[in-house]
Amino acid sequence: MIEARELVLTLGGRRVLDGVSFSVARGEAVALVGPNGSGKTSVLRCLLGLVPYCGQARIDGHDCALEPIAARACVGYLPQRSCFADSTAEEALRFVARVRRVNPARVPLALQQVGLQSCARQRARTFSGGMQQRLSLAAALLADPPVLLLDEPTASLDRGGQEDFLRIASELRQGGHTLLLSSHRAEEIDRLADRVLELDGGRLEPDRRPERIVALRPKKVAS
Amino acid sequence: MRARETLLVAAREVREAMRSRWFVLSAASFLVLSLGLSLFGLAGAQRSGLAGFDRTTAGLLNLALLFVPLVTLSLGGLGLAGELEDGSLAVLLAQPITRAEVYVGKYVGLLGAMATSIFTGFGLAGLVVGALAGGGNALVFLQLVGLTVLLAAVTLAVGTLLSAALGSRAKAVGGAFAAWLALVYGSDLGTIGLAAARSLTPGQVFALALLNPVEQARVLGTLALTGRPDVLGVVGIFGQDLLGTNGLSLLLAATLAASAAGALAGGWALFRKAVVP
Repeated sequence: MIEARELVLTLGGRRVLDGVSFSVARGEAVALVGPNGSGKTSVLRCLLGLVPYCGQARIDGHDCALEPIAARACVGYLPQRSCFADSTAEEALRFVARVRRVNPARVPLALQQVGLQSCARQRARTFSGGMQQRLSLAAALLADPPVLLLDEPTASLDRGGQEDFLRIASELRQGGHTLLLSSHRAEEIDRLADRVLELDGGRLEPDRRPERIVALRPKKVAS
Repeated sequence: MRARETLLVAAREVREAMRSRWFVLSAASFLVLSLGLSLFGLAGAQRSGLAGFDRTTAGLLNLALLFVPLVTLSLGGLGLAGELEDGSLAVLLAQPITRAEVYVGKYVGLLGAMATSIFTGFGLAGLVVGALAGGGNALVFLQLVGLTVLLAAVTLAVGTLLSAALGSRAKAVGGAFAAWLALVYGSDLGTIGLAAARSLTPGQVFALALLNPVEQARVLGTLALTGRPDVLGVVGIFGQDLLGTNGLSLLLAATLAASAAGALAGGWALFRKAVVP
């Protein structure tokens, strides 16, 4: 479902990704782990075409560089830091619904799913980090895409929000969605991931099973 | 590039602009200044016996040359850089939508918001003057409105170029203000200084003026109002002698359109490969 071959990303003269190759099968949940600056978010940004990279990335058979619209149509993205400019929660989701050609009638349901139905007319800019993250999750799930790219999905959520997210993500996983998440949280990885890919200094370490993640120690990032 | 998606982004941009305090304040100021200048112009016209519409149009031209570049350069400057900085551009570009659709949609949306502000300000001013002083030359007034929108298109494109080049909100606002000073004041002073120091010929001064969209709009607007040499200035007189009134008007309008297209193309060249954090 997701295939990356020899991804190389250089930013400001620094090699952020150095020949990263991996694949994620349909319905599989894979966690990207590693210390800060190891390239976890950069892998997701390459798949979304947010950065110019070398190598090849494919989502559901669509080349992310050559067929970006088809590739991104398969993907729901939950960024580490969400922002919806000056839109209200409802407007932000309506925009996503129109772009993704989804019936806007699904918007109230999506807001309800993440517990934001009472804040539909409030500007997303005024939301707390956790509420913005919930809104982002609603936007990512609105079109029910088969692939979800989740970047530190519970980083700004409180305990209740984390539980809600893990419940929703577990349901999605059981429903056959493909998940690629970057995370530092052992509990999140343990509950969601079938497989762990460890990045260090922009390189991929050999696969690790989720149960071993608890034992992973922070490593110094290669400059 | 798909029209539907581009228009969706444009509509989103109009909505965002209408919520921006800076834009709302600018639009309100533009409306108040347009009305104030119109009424002031009418009061003066009653003493001097000049036609109310023409006098008002001349005042509004000066307002447009000062005010519109200031607003549009800032608006364009904040457009991409603001969303790049706060992370909303990443959310937008993660949707099945191309960078070209986002880039053009944002520009079209901001221009639509600015054109609405111009139509409202000048429209109300025109109605007030028309009601109080009679029709006058309404065609010239409409030409002024069209010219102002064209100037807005150019300076908004320059602002968008700055936004793509500088990438951060603070730098883009600083760049926009510097560009405004350069276009509105610096260019004239520079041309005068160069002309004096290097003994430039009128042709060289004319060529220099063609680099500044505000000066082009000033001459084009003045040509629509009056062909009097004492008002046109050296650039206008030289151009009029060289090309005739219609030829010069056509050249200036084409140069303005080309400037907008050039700035937009430059901005796109930077944005299409930009790193989105």
